[in-house]
Amino acid sequence: MSNTTLAGPAGAPNAVAPRPPSAPDRAATRARRRKTLGRIWPNLLALALAAFFVFPVYWMFSTSFKPAAQVLTKTPTFFFTPTFEHYGTATEVELFWTFVRNSLTATVGAVLIALVVALAASFAIVRMKFKGRKGLVLAVMMAQLAPWEVMVIVMYLIARDAQVLNSIGFLTLIYFVMVLPFTIWTLRGFIAAVPKELEEAAMIDGCSRTQAFFRVIFPLLAPGLMSTSLFGFITAWNEFAMVLVLNKEPEAYTLPLWLTQFQSAFGNDWGATMAASSLFAIPVLLLFLFLQRRAVGGLSAGAVKG
Amino acid sequence: MRRKLIAAIGVAAMMGVAACGSDGGEDAQSGDGDKTLTVWVMDGSAPEEWVTELNKEFEAAHEGVTVEIQTQQWNGIQEKVTTALSEDAPPDVLELGNTQTAGYAVTGGLADLTDMKDELGYDTWNEGMLPSAELDGQLYAAPWWAANRVVIYDKSIFADAGVEPPTTREEWVEGLQKIEDETDAQPIYLPGQSWYVYSGFLWDEGGDLAVEDGDQWKGALATPEGAAAMNFYEELQSFSTAPKDTDEATPQQSTDIVPKGDVASWIGLGWEANGAIAAIEEAGGEADFGYFPVPGKTAEQPGHVFFGGSNLAVPERSQNKELAQEWLKLATSEEWMKKYAEATGGAALPNSQAAQITPEPGSFAEAMVQSADVGRLTPITPGWANVETDPNPVKQYMTNVLNGTDPKKAGDDADEAITERINQG
Amino acid sequence: MTVQTTEGATPVTKEPPPSGPDSRPPGEAAPRGRRSLPSGWLPYLLIAPAVLALTVFLGYPLVRNVLVSFQQLGRMEMISRATVWTGFDNYVELLRDDAFWAVVVRTFVFMAVNVALIMLGGTLIGLLLNRLGKAMRLVLSLALVMAWAMPIVASATVFRWLFDTQFGVVNWVMRSLGFAGYEQHNWFQTGFSTLAIVTLLIVWASVPFVALNMYAGLTTISGELYEAARMDGATNYRIFRSVVFPLLKPFFLITTFLEIIWVFKAFAQIYALNQGGPNRESETLPVFAYVEGMSQMQFGVAAAASVLTILILIVAMSFYFRLILKQEDEQ
Repeated sequence: MSNTTLAGPAGAPNAVAPRPPSAPDRAATRARRRKTLGRIWPNLLALALAAFFVFPVYWMFSTSFKPAAQVLTKTPTFFFTPTFEHYGTATEVELFWTFVRNSLTATVGAVLIALVVALAASFAIVRMKFKGRKGLVLAVMMAQLAPWEVMVIVMYLIARDAQVLNSIGFLTLIYFVMVLPFTIWTLRGFIAAVPKELEEAAMIDGCSRTQAFFRVIFPLLAPGLMSTSLFGFITAWNEFAMVLVLNKEPEAYTLPLWLTQFQSAFGNDWGATMAASSLFAIPVLLLFLFLQRRAVGGLSAGAVKG
Repeated sequence: MRRKLIAAIGVAAMMGVAACGSDGGEDAQSGDGDKTLTVWVMDGSAPEEWVTELNKEFEAAHEGVTVEIQTQQWNGIQEKVTTALSEDAPPDVLELGNTQTAGYAVTGGLADLTDMKDELGYDTWNEGMLPSAELDGQLYAAPWWAANRVVIYDKSIFADAGVEPPTTREEWVEGLQKIEDETDAQPIYLPGQSWYVYSGFLWDEGGDLAVEDGDQWKGALATPEGAAAMNFYEELQSFSTAPKDTDEATPQQSTDIVPKGDVASWIGLGWEANGAIAAIEEAGGEADFGYFPVPGKTAEQPGHVFFGGSNLAVPERSQNKELAQEWLKLATSEEWMKKYAEATGGAALPNSQAAQITPEPGSFAEAMVQSADVGRLTPITPGWANVETDPNPVKQYMTNVLNGTDPKKAGDDADEAITERINQG
Repeated sequence: MTVQTTEGATPVTKEPPPSGPDSRPPGEAAPRGRRSLPSGWLPYLLIAPAVLALTVFLGYPLVRNVLVSFQQLGRMEMISRATVWTGFDNYVELLRDDAFWAVVVRTFVFMAVNVALIMLGGTLIGLLLNRLGKAMRLVLSLALVMAWAMPIVASATVFRWLFDTQFGVVNWVMRSLGFAGYEQHNWFQTGFSTLAIVTLLIVWASVPFVALNMYAGLTTISGELYEAARMDGATNYRIFRSVVFPLLKPFFLITTFLEIIWVFKAFAQIYALNQGGPNRESETLPVFAYVEGMSQMQFGVAAAASVLTILILIVAMSFYFRLILKQEDEQ
């Protein structure tokens, strides 16, 4: 068995059908068929939709750069000289960088642990037969229903009695478990999409099972890992009901807490509030723009498999 | 304790991460030397200079002790205090609103200060402030400050409209109408949920928020008095463009609304007036405020006002109980209360007559003390604190009526919630 | 963008997977490689961390939650750390409370409306993406990604600002369009209008997920299939019903499942916009449980509410569980 044949199936772990003809081909056929009018309305509609989806994001950034006097006006101003003063107000808050560090630690930590743990579990679920496998699948599915927000008080009692309040470590672990079920579930789809023959072939070629996993399957999972981690990242980055109750020491706050409290402390200062929102959103926006090409389709390839 | 310790070790080992003591507070408790005393004060309560000076003196007298002041927002404070009091390392000293103190005293979460009565100067305290600090004859907190609201007005706008500070409700409304007719300013800024202001009107009518009914309490908003008070509130509110569904803290009227100008008058506390003045001056302007008591039905007596205030208490589980009591004693001592009164310009009444300063003419304090005699408290029962938790039924009642709901119907809904909550343990 | 998303759908590795260091003729290694499903301790070792984590941090809290739901736990019991068992009192109180049932009904209506709008909007936009030219597709995809990437806490804050009573841009737009009464319109005055804005926020944030994945799924359908259907004279609607839908059925199944869960559990969006108000009229089950518990410190009642929430959710989703388990058997 040669390497070239190996690469074949790897290229097409598609859920449904073989790949379509390339885009220009299709466009050409369509162009012939459609009348001009038929091509204009989809574009107009697309423009309107794009404006609708982008507007709140645009408005957030635009408000955050507006001079204070032009923020609270009855008639909004669309042209102005940008200013960074609101970002100053937002980051001047004591301990701001501690919050950033805490948020990053808890989020990245939770996602990384979840990826490792989920990879092992989903590999076992997909590729191995063992007693209780179906039960585990069901449990993972049900775990996604867990209403974490209403369990805060129980988590609080547990944390209090274990004396781990105000701990970023404990928070990281909670976030890890919050994102774990979804991570297992999606990774499972991705692993199932990698043909079994590939792994077998590698083992025939003399790889141990572990080697086969790391050399063959793991690289193929890259998009899956990225899209999964993206979801985990958002979940953990956003969380605030839990941290609000668990961490009362300002030193143990995270960014969502800062954002919500900032709002109540600064009241009507929408410029600063929008600057704070922007700062909070930017990491996720950047992450999406970097990973999105892998993540979007990746999720359908993974999740659609179900 | 042992079991707890094992659990703690278990979790720590499992996580591979030890519980992060935030600021060395953990170490502090083990050694005799360095200790950190954590004090929670509410937003607006402790003038910065005063508290800095106080801590300096305290730290000088107690070597190795650092006092850390953490300022809390009123919004959501009850859930924060409740959970904090249940913890092994709560803050060492807490400021509690006088309407909420009994609710915590009854839980056993506050240290009993009865034995310290003499040291604290119990006999010199203002009698009006005592009921909220005591429960069943025991002392759970030391009164700190008390204050009531007055009407704060912009002298120049009043002069432009030719309006004098009113002494009766009728004059008040007439004046507001005149300001509306003759100036561009908002005659009064009054958000729809300023429920302490409403309580005053309710007391003017002879009503109350809740009344005793046998050994239970029940809400009393769905009464003719409740409706009449709301009627007057609505009349005032119609002069305002303030939102009907928020209270005076969202947005913060003193720092977010008034400094932007064009507010002819508003109802607030001393620290709010000071905050507004500071904000105006920071923006390069000059505040020209006058003050008058909330007018009553007749010129003989000003309108009733809510006698707000705060107590200082020590949590039962404080790790530094003795130090905490020392700090509390110093902060509420005559000497420091006098400085407190000075720092607030008399806008907050200190806990004893002796510490009081004579208000300057034309000051907030001068207007405030005029209605001190008709100051009233919310129903004195531990269950009242439950009523004030969000969503507060009194606030909802006000918004509903302002939006057109029949006062009787809105009152019945509110009374049901009040009755249920006030009788909860 | 076309190329990007299509690429994403099919994880192609650049380098071919390396073979073992000492490649042997296939036959020799066969005995070990042939059987692919090992039994024994290995699978248990692999799932152990996940099982342990879920048990400790989810299973145990859930059990504890059930225990608390049979207790009276308020301010008093919390601070004095007393345990007061009250049997089914909390449940009885809830089930007898009209307000609770109003919340249950509201939650289901809210969920149904949201999921329907999300699935419909997402599918239509996905189909639109498939029809667009390259440039326009890039523009729309980017806009969708922006909305998708916005963290909930931030977007809720932004929506609060868009719909601000005094200075909100939406009121300005309404005025500019010539509608009367939007001088100081309060969008959060009733529970209904609050939930309408929450719906807008959730749909805005969730449609991109469905649309982009729908599009990625569509690119996997061969163009010849459409051609064939068209030759047979099928309308667009028929093509969707008899070609696209059956092929993407697993996609619809899973996405609807996820959206139902996500909308049902939506908390931050509702709470951040108006705390479930006014008059608790925009509370759904999770928000109700949170307000009862955290704000009013009726932790026992809140725990009972959350147990009921979980039960309701499990019953409502049992259909899905069965479907997915059936798929599991087929694999």
